[in-house]
Amino acid sequence: MEVQKEAQRIMTLSVWKMYHSRMQRGGLRLHRSLQLSLIMRSARELYLSAKVEALDLEAPSPPARCPDPRLHPPREVEVPAACVPPDGEQPLPEPMDTQEEEETLVRCSPRPARVCRKRRSSSLSDGVDAGLVPSKKARLEEQEEAKDSSSEVPDCLPPPPAQAEGAFPNLARVLQRSFSGLLSRGPAASPTAPPARDAKPACRPADPMLSVLVRAVVAF
Amino acid sequence: MKCFSRYLPYIFRPPNTILSSSCHTEADIISTVEFNHTGELLATGDKGGRVVIFQREQESKNQVHRRGEYNVYSTFQSHEPEFDYLKSLEIEEKINKIRWLPQQNAAYFLLSTNDKTVKLWKVSERDKRPEGYNLKDEEGRLRDPATITTLRVPVLRPMDLMVEATPRRVFANAHTYHINSISVNSDYETYMSADDLRINLWNFEITNQSFNIVDIKPANMEELTEVITAAEFHPHHCNTFVYSSSKGTIRLCDMRASALCDRHTKFFEEPEDPSNRSFFSEIISSISDVKFSHSGRYIMTRDYLTVKVWDLNMENRPIETYQVHDYLRSKLCSLYENDCIFDKFECVWNGSDSVIMTGSYNNFFRMFDRNTKRDVTLEASRENSKPRAILKPRKVCVGGKRRKDEISVDSLDFSKKILHTAWHPSENIIAVAATNNLYIFQDKVN
Repeated sequence: MEVQKEAQRIMTLSVWKMYHSRMQRGGLRLHRSLQLSLIMRSARELYLSAKVEALDLEAPSPPARCPDPRLHPPREVEVPAACVPPDGEQPLPEPMDTQEEEETLVRCSPRPARVCRKRRSSSLSDGVDAGLVPSKKARLEEQEEAKDSSSEVPDCLPPPPAQAEGAFPNLARVLQRSFSGLLSRGPAASPTAPPARDAKPACRPADPMLSVLVRAVVAF
Repeated sequence: MKCFSRYLPYIFRPPNTILSSSCHTEADIISTVEFNHTGELLATGDKGGRVVIFQREQESKNQVHRRGEYNVYSTFQSHEPEFDYLKSLEIEEKINKIRWLPQQNAAYFLLSTNDKTVKLWKVSERDKRPEGYNLKDEEGRLRDPATITTLRVPVLRPMDLMVEATPRRVFANAHTYHINSISVNSDYETYMSADDLRINLWNFEITNQSFNIVDIKPANMEELTEVITAAEFHPHHCNTFVYSSSKGTIRLCDMRASALCDRHTKFFEEPEDPSNRSFFSEIISSISDVKFSHSGRYIMTRDYLTVKVWDLNMENRPIETYQVHDYLRSKLCSLYENDCIFDKFECVWNGSDSVIMTGSYNNFFRMFDRNTKRDVTLEASRENSKPRAILKPRKVCVGGKRRKDEISVDSLDFSKKILHTAWHPSENIIAVAATNNLYIFQDKVN
């Protein structure tokens, strides 16, 4: 829990730094932005792994702990897909972002959305998840983390370039959409998802801050 | 106090004067320090875009104790704040780097750069002025030709020494990203400027074009994983240069191989020590400075916690690693919070390449003797400096009982950082920039 809180704190701090670096004279510095995004990614990984451990401790029953093998294959299929530069793979890139020349979506941000859609369909179709404890929300995270951790397995060495979050969506927009919401809520409250993610309310993860922070990388 | 050999540390004596501005504003913070090739001149650049050049006094028998003091020689505004209208960004006037050109005539030339524009400045002395013009009077007003009855030849008469700095070339609009380095080539005809993703090669005479020699910008910015942090030409081979990256790697390139040196000739990288792996490993491995030795045989790199010396002939690991302030390894999270983890320290060689120096926090700076493997921590501060006294070595206490004169890690002042230092090319004179103060220490051991 401590680790989770610390990771969350670092992520919040990183977003602040990113925001403030944009306000400083001389504009955003590419090197600084890259470093902040590296920290955010590490904090996110730490947060997710801590969450997995916490969930493991909370619900030690085997079915909940080990991800459903029926869901594994689709997830694993998705992981290599996610590792490849996503240009051709994002079904619904945000229309605003694609208009800018240098903007590309952070790869991780559409991932939850994709996972969300896929998971939703598979969970509905399988009909097995309804009886599983914990709830869908927690399950979503579990799978997200499991997916992340499985995606990290091949990347235990310095991650391949595709894995790194060097993406630069327009910071102003991202922060406009997400940051004000982030500021207005307390740390433990369950925040409403940013507008882009409102499309799938059922898939909203318990920690939208996670995805928000992942998205708020750099604009250049 | 311990006695050190004459080779390390040099027994530096504090200067009689510490050069600093009277009122300290952000604009007075020194951002670069550089001796010229003879060591006669010392240039500093600050955040306000000003360049201040100090000149060493000639030694005189009358004032032996004032041997070789540095006094202000010239001050000029090199860069002004600008505005990029397309990107709606202000371009800071802060001088990122100054590099001297070797002297080829009576005038001095230096390159100074901010984030976007490099300028070539000519600093020249004027100690004579012409007098006795026919068509204008002493104040410069034109005379009525009808009143002129005789002709005279103008003569040069001595005047008070005036040092004037004029911008001879402006090399602009070649960098999309922020310039971090400039380096004069040993051919004295070209130089390079490096930003986060590209390195350009310029000819001093041509300002409207430059050659791009390195471009690491990925086609998809999303795949960006590293940036260029510093670059330097080899001191003797005009075709060779190195550049360092934010991933802790150094690439040596040969311009004879191809026009675009995207493929390196040598790649220097040390495998990461798994025991040192931490949350912040990636960012503290970023190299903040790279310097060739005077011999050209070695390169020195500075990352957040260490200084490393690499042999150009061995790419897989450095030949020497020096811990600058390893006690900060456990404090990285706090240093991230106060942004200190992003500080970019520079490193310098002494004239004989036997000693290396770099800065730290609390106005400490460190010297490492490569031969004896001894090191020392010194402090640049007014309080500890009395004229003709000897700089006392300092020690940081990492834990346990703190001895007298030691300072504990938690008492370090992280706002007092020494990022920029310079070493005279042939003598034991060092210049240390501590925020807005410039300390010049000289070794009086004979």
